[in-house]
Amino acid sequence: MSALGLEHEGKPNPLGSEGSSAVHVRQWQLEPETEYRFELDPGNSLAIKLVDGQAEIFGAELAEGSIYVFGMECKAAVYTWQGCTIEMTSTEYISEETPMNAYANVHLALEQMRVRALRVIHGSPPSDDDEADMDPNPEPPRVLVLGPENSGKTTVSKILVNYAVRMGQDWNPIFANVDPGEGGWAVPGVISAASITAPLQTSSPAATLGSAATSAPVHLVSNELLPLSYWYGHAETRRNPLLMDRLIRNLGENIAERWDADAECRAAGLIVDTPASFASSSGPQGDHRHALIKACVDAFRINVILVVGHEKLNVEMQRAYGNRISIVKIPKSGGVVELDSSYRERVRKYQLQNYMYGKVIPPPPGLSALPYLQGGEQTSDLTLNLAPSSSVIMFSDLVIYRIGEETMAPTSALPIGAARVVSEMQPLIVDPAQPGSGLYNAVLALLSPPNPDESERYDEEILDLSVVGFLVITALDIPNKRMTVLAPGQGSFAGRTAIVGSFEWQE
Amino acid sequence: MSLYPQPHTQVFNSPPYPAQGYGQPLIPPTSYHYPPPVQPTFHVDPQTFRRDYTTRLADLTVNSRPIIQNLSMIAQEYSRYAEIVAQCIEMHIRRVPLWMKLPAFYLLDAMSKNVFDPYARCFTPLVVTLFIDTYEQVDPSTRSKMEEMLLTWRTGAPNGRELFGVVPQVAIERHIWGGDTTMTASSSRSGGSSSISTAQVLSELEFVLSQKERTLQANPYDKLAQNHVAVLQQLRKLVQAGVSQEELNQILTQLRSLAQPASSSPPPVPAPVPQSYSTASYSVSPPSYPTPIDQTMYPSQPAYPTASFSVSKTEPVDFSLLVPQPTAASSVSATVSAPSAPASNIANLFNALVRTGVLSTSGTPTGAGTIAKTEEAAAPAPPDPEKEVAKVYRKTILANKLKLTSADIVRQRLNVASLLYKRLPVQCKQCGVRFPDGPKGRKTMEGHLDMHFRQNRKASQAVSRGYSRSWFISVEDWVHDGSIDIKGKGRADGRKINSSAAAAAEAAKREAELRALFVVVPPGDEAKPISCPICKEILKSEFLEDDEEWVWRNAVRRDDKIYHATCHAEATASKSTLAVRLRNEVSSSRSRSQTPEKQILRTPPKVSLSFSGEQRKANSPSPTTPMGMKRKADDDASNSSLETMRGEPPTKKLAVSA
Repeated sequence: MSALGLEHEGKPNPLGSEGSSAVHVRQWQLEPETEYRFELDPGNSLAIKLVDGQAEIFGAELAEGSIYVFGMECKAAVYTWQGCTIEMTSTEYISEETPMNAYANVHLALEQMRVRALRVIHGSPPSDDDEADMDPNPEPPRVLVLGPENSGKTTVSKILVNYAVRMGQDWNPIFANVDPGEGGWAVPGVISAASITAPLQTSSPAATLGSAATSAPVHLVSNELLPLSYWYGHAETRRNPLLMDRLIRNLGENIAERWDADAECRAAGLIVDTPASFASSSGPQGDHRHALIKACVDAFRINVILVVGHEKLNVEMQRAYGNRISIVKIPKSGGVVELDSSYRERVRKYQLQNYMYGKVIPPPPGLSALPYLQGGEQTSDLTLNLAPSSSVIMFSDLVIYRIGEETMAPTSALPIGAARVVSEMQPLIVDPAQPGSGLYNAVLALLSPPNPDESERYDEEILDLSVVGFLVITALDIPNKRMTVLAPGQGSFAGRTAIVGSFEWQE
Repeated sequence: MSLYPQPHTQVFNSPPYPAQGYGQPLIPPTSYHYPPPVQPTFHVDPQTFRRDYTTRLADLTVNSRPIIQNLSMIAQEYSRYAEIVAQCIEMHIRRVPLWMKLPAFYLLDAMSKNVFDPYARCFTPLVVTLFIDTYEQVDPSTRSKMEEMLLTWRTGAPNGRELFGVVPQVAIERHIWGGDTTMTASSSRSGGSSSISTAQVLSELEFVLSQKERTLQANPYDKLAQNHVAVLQQLRKLVQAGVSQEELNQILTQLRSLAQPASSSPPPVPAPVPQSYSTASYSVSPPSYPTPIDQTMYPSQPAYPTASFSVSKTEPVDFSLLVPQPTAASSVSATVSAPSAPASNIANLFNALVRTGVLSTSGTPTGAGTIAKTEEAAAPAPPDPEKEVAKVYRKTILANKLKLTSADIVRQRLNVASLLYKRLPVQCKQCGVRFPDGPKGRKTMEGHLDMHFRQNRKASQAVSRGYSRSWFISVEDWVHDGSIDIKGKGRADGRKINSSAAAAAEAAKREAELRALFVVVPPGDEAKPISCPICKEILKSEFLEDDEEWVWRNAVRRDDKIYHATCHAEATASKSTLAVRLRNEVSSSRSRSQTPEKQILRTPPKVSLSFSGEQRKANSPSPTTPMGMKRKADDDASNSSLETMRGEPPTKKLAVSA
């Protein structure tokens, strides 16, 4: 038994190691096509080092000899295709049954679609040995991943995206996250998309899909994600399906525009991760979920639907789209952890915390002297410790809206003489001066500025504006008409517009 | 002890140096010097370190950027053992066979420039003899690489001064390029200490050329840089073919003046390596050159062949041998982002030289020949290796018989692992990212490593500074982000070419095309003023030398009327989009609010919103109407028209006023 980073097989490594005592490190031999799964408790962290062989975490390869740190209740698995030896500071269990073969096959099938599409884009002649090449207009893969809660949708999406970028073909697929309960690379409450050029790392649920760019020099390109985000503002899709529908279409619209500008990006395709509510047929939400699936299919021009381990949904999709879209049922991983709502609540908190302050996971005790990687970052203490800015602004500096919600709207914002019935899509101004405005500790999405040409503007434009960042109101001083706003960075909010949702956050 | 002012950052072993010690304000320390990263307490004793470093050096058998970077990173980390590192490297260079010396020099170069302190200081005492000894042993092509490196040393220090100080620089240069008649090197020169050798001119030319080529690499669409490279390459041919001393002198002067402006404009991105080919160099270094030759002393000497290059002037020149391979020669220094395109126009240099008769393309018989050959050689497009690679990959992927069905996905067992691992043997040790083998993969890998290198440097500088989450980019930037971004390049510095710039370029191109249109003036009408029916301005006529005819520029004839081509295009475009817009408006007005929008539109939405909400209540629009999409449709229509349409009144206003 040896400490991480100590010498192995007598190979001298005087530059990287200074073994420290008191670390309980175990070495594990993973057979080919098995995975080592771990689930961390709050406050715990874990370090893993690949000693020999090849291994990957959700499709992102581990560099041999580097120490990877995980924390914040991270639940993940190290998978190996060809076998490997890993060292770690604790152990959970090793599983020999994984659906990775099926996932890899899906990847391969998608890759075939990509190369066919790219061939047409490049105008190369078709090869004779490919019968499917007869299709004069092969489409790149645009995949919708559906599945019930705890089926591993995000993981499947991540693996597929990671495999695509690892092909060495300069693919830059687009990853769209339409699950507003999941922050992805930003904060919960948004639906967003980003072009992926390097494998997405896994280290904590605070940044499941990597993080959005910071002002720091990044250490791995995957952390330089530049997402396009729209603010939905709630965790559940049923809360305002019409708004979801519209935002999904906005997102699709912009992705299509990007593809028009960049044919190679188009060929790399798209993976759409969806909320579990799209799959759950129980309850009164049956109608809206079909509408939302249809919105996704239309907006993203979906041509492949992957259903993760849900027979009934598979049949449903076959019936609805089977004639024009490939519907593929894929197995669910046995390693998926059943997550309860309190865990999800905590993860949302982590994500907001991570957005504002970044998060450095303290390595397991005894390892602190060694350099380690967190989410692919080499010097996490420098680049993952972020400094948000807190400032006091006047109420009038920032115009805050709430989209179509009757319960919290102050009377003054309602039409005279009208009943308290408001369209779901109607932006209502929120007056911070009113008691019960619900702004205290609320998470706001700061919108990009409206069209500079005033005559191009329209009433509901704020529904179609993308998000530039998120704010939290940490204090309200009603007598003086001031509020304290926590923002990710410096900047003036005078004249800006923000939308409040139902998320709150307290440090 | 040192010829250098030391950066004031506290470094192990060296006392903090007062900032006033600088001759000039130290340019953003961010991009140059960096202190060793905060080190965990490693206790490696010097002997172990020396042994280990020597072992690692032994790997440096070829010019491999990963190895060089790795070695210099280690050196940086252990800068307290700088002396040991310097000794190891000197021993290594002296001991290894000839072909392994150059890579080691690149390492020395990289460490001195990038880490600078204390390495430049440590190398200073030994660099002169080491360089000269090596130079005398190696073959001509290695020599020219070394000369090229030597030129970068002139300005290699963070403050733009000589990397190892004036004295060593001058000593080496004098030894190599004259001033020392005992020299055994390039035997082509005939002059004494004050003559300029062809080799020297060529070296500098190569240097400027590689600079330009890097500019071009950084921005492949830079027409100016393309031009410069072409001209410089031609110039090189001429020089190689042989020109007089006087001509050499002029070329040299020009070249130096050319290299300068490049430095005055700062690189577009913070250059991490202190290699701004900068200012001080050429003005400070005169002692190193036997400067301006008295031209009367050397009345046009006959051209002599350049023996220093093993290229005979009568033979077609092998292009690839001469063009410094960006991956090889400049691999280490290529971490520098290229200086921005110089303000001065290199093309003029060549033209001017030809015009003034300094160089006559016809007068130098071989010169003309080589130029022609150059063009010939450049003409046939080489088979595109990238396409071949893509084809092979496609075959590999498609060879898997696999159907995208639930059954097939589970049943098949295909060897995906080899696709993910074996097929991509080049792996980044730091983050595990893999690249395919072959020139392209290696190049990408180099770019990737550069990125790590830069990031490590930057990160170690900013210990105390807090970073923060960036604001997200705008929709426009997001949409156009992918089309320009080159993987690992653009993103590494977080800067992207703005989409609006691309759109503007597109518009400018279209406009230029329109402006190039002309209508031949009917005979006899030359004097008659004709005005464009749209803008009412008079069309300008001009004489086309090629066609020997008078024409109206920027003109089109439609229905027997002459319009400005630009005016006409604009008008046609707006006509069609107006129609489209009106149609849209009609079809969408059903779902649109009939409330007095004019009023709402004119007031800033901020103020009017509670009001507009009220208005809408009475006649609430169908919430499902994707208004954003409708707006897009309009945009598409106007995009297809001229850029100038942007200012047109929007749909709503039209509807309201109509």
